[in-house]
Amino acid sequence: MSLPSSKKIAILRDRAAMLAAARLFFANRNVMEVDCPLLTAGASVDAHIDLISASNAGEIRYLHSSPEYGMKRLLADGIGDIYQLAHVFRAAEQGKKHNPEFMMAEWYRCGFTFEEMIHDTLDFIRVFLGDLPASIVSYRDLCKRHTGIDYFTADEKTLLQLIKERDIMPYDGIEEEGKDALLNVILGTLVEPHLGRGELTVLAYYPSTQAALAQTRLHGDEPVAERFEIYYEGIELANGYHELAHATEQRQRLGEANDQRISLGKAPLPIDEAFLKALEKGLPDCCGVAVGVDRLMMLRHNANHIEDVIPFGWSTA
Amino acid sequence: MAQVSTNEFKTGMKVESEGQPYTIVSNEFVKPGKGQAFNRVRLKHLTTGRVVERTFKSGEKLEVADVVESAMRMLYKEADGVVFMDESTFEQVKIPLDNIGDTIQWLLEDLLYDIVFYKGAPVTVEPPTFMEMRIVETMPGERGNTASGRVLKPAVTESGAKIQVPIFVEQDEIVKVDTRTGEYVSRVSTQF
Repeated sequence: MSLPSSKKIAILRDRAAMLAAARLFFANRNVMEVDCPLLTAGASVDAHIDLISASNAGEIRYLHSSPEYGMKRLLADGIGDIYQLAHVFRAAEQGKKHNPEFMMAEWYRCGFTFEEMIHDTLDFIRVFLGDLPASIVSYRDLCKRHTGIDYFTADEKTLLQLIKERDIMPYDGIEEEGKDALLNVILGTLVEPHLGRGELTVLAYYPSTQAALAQTRLHGDEPVAERFEIYYEGIELANGYHELAHATEQRQRLGEANDQRISLGKAPLPIDEAFLKALEKGLPDCCGVAVGVDRLMMLRHNANHIEDVIPFGWSTA
Repeated sequence: MAQVSTNEFKTGMKVESEGQPYTIVSNEFVKPGKGQAFNRVRLKHLTTGRVVERTFKSGEKLEVADVVESAMRMLYKEADGVVFMDESTFEQVKIPLDNIGDTIQWLLEDLLYDIVFYKGAPVTVEPPTFMEMRIVETMPGERGNTASGRVLKPAVTESGAKIQVPIFVEQDEIVKVDTRTGEYVSRVSTQF
């Protein structure tokens, strides 16, 4: 299954060149490199991201799933535009496009609008994939285009019926998980595979119920999150936000994420008080994005498996 | 009974879902954005051969199906089934024609086949991937008609399979066939 070593070495040589190109991209735009710690006492709390923990003489620490919290503490201290090329860790995320340990390029631009951040991210992706055209489409329009259904006005029954009509047997108990769980399956099976065919597709303005750490605003009657993802050839490459700066709302969302974890039968995670304290102090108005570097390398090399573009895959690490 | 989790799913694994036995055809891990991770799994029904697609929440478990495969020698055909014999126990089983399906065209007496047993009952017969068999019926090849590359003509093998062979293959010749696709692979030299 694994590549012959000469081919692998050629890919790793290109990977090194691309990491240098990525650093040059940021240097040219006056974005400073930082290296926030990988092992932290407070955890990033997300309903659907499970962390890998480590023990330091009995004290539990968490390998970060993104360098976000640390970077935001620096932003609140007034550091200005920053990026981190970080290995990040997500428990049990394994497949052709997933390795539990992977490399993320994460950066923040102060004073950028949501749309400016989308263009900054497209430019970064083009460093790896060449001068591809791009289109920006709303979540609502993309869902309509690929399913014929308006997610905003559709009820759960309609969504469930759509899934079944397309011969996708949903997993047991999805009904109890609500509308966002149904939309998640619809996005993953009926929409995502069609995105980014011959272009970079920017999926923007998510439902406000899937805002995560993004600011929300109104699109007519539809409350949306200023959140985007970018796809190429059906592969998700980037996830960006106009960052939520409100400490109280952030604390509430972390609490909700923990409640959701408990209802899914998972352990709640310790809230990162240092992160919330930084938000209370004041996060400058900024946008942030995370890009999967290994996926960019997969696309550059037409690789079928993430293991082909990193030194050692999970099974042999 | 043993269980396997979605992250252990491998192509070819036999599992049970809603009381039915399936072979895993493919397994894809899907995690859109910040949503719940799930697996898109294609399953082939062990007896009907019907392929269905199902989603499972990542980490969900399925029972391993009680499936045993054993190599058995084909003895003879009857009106309602085919009789095979276990090589080590000499035990004989008759497999109904319904469970044999299209594989009937690849059955030759005295040859070993993989028989799949589900909960102790024989359910399917797998022929060897490549089989050598005699052509019992085909038109004589026309000469001078090969300029455009490989030209094929219909033929019937001794097992009853209808296949396409190159025009130079004559009746009574032995050929090698890929039973997955029913395609001619090569001529098998015998007398030379």
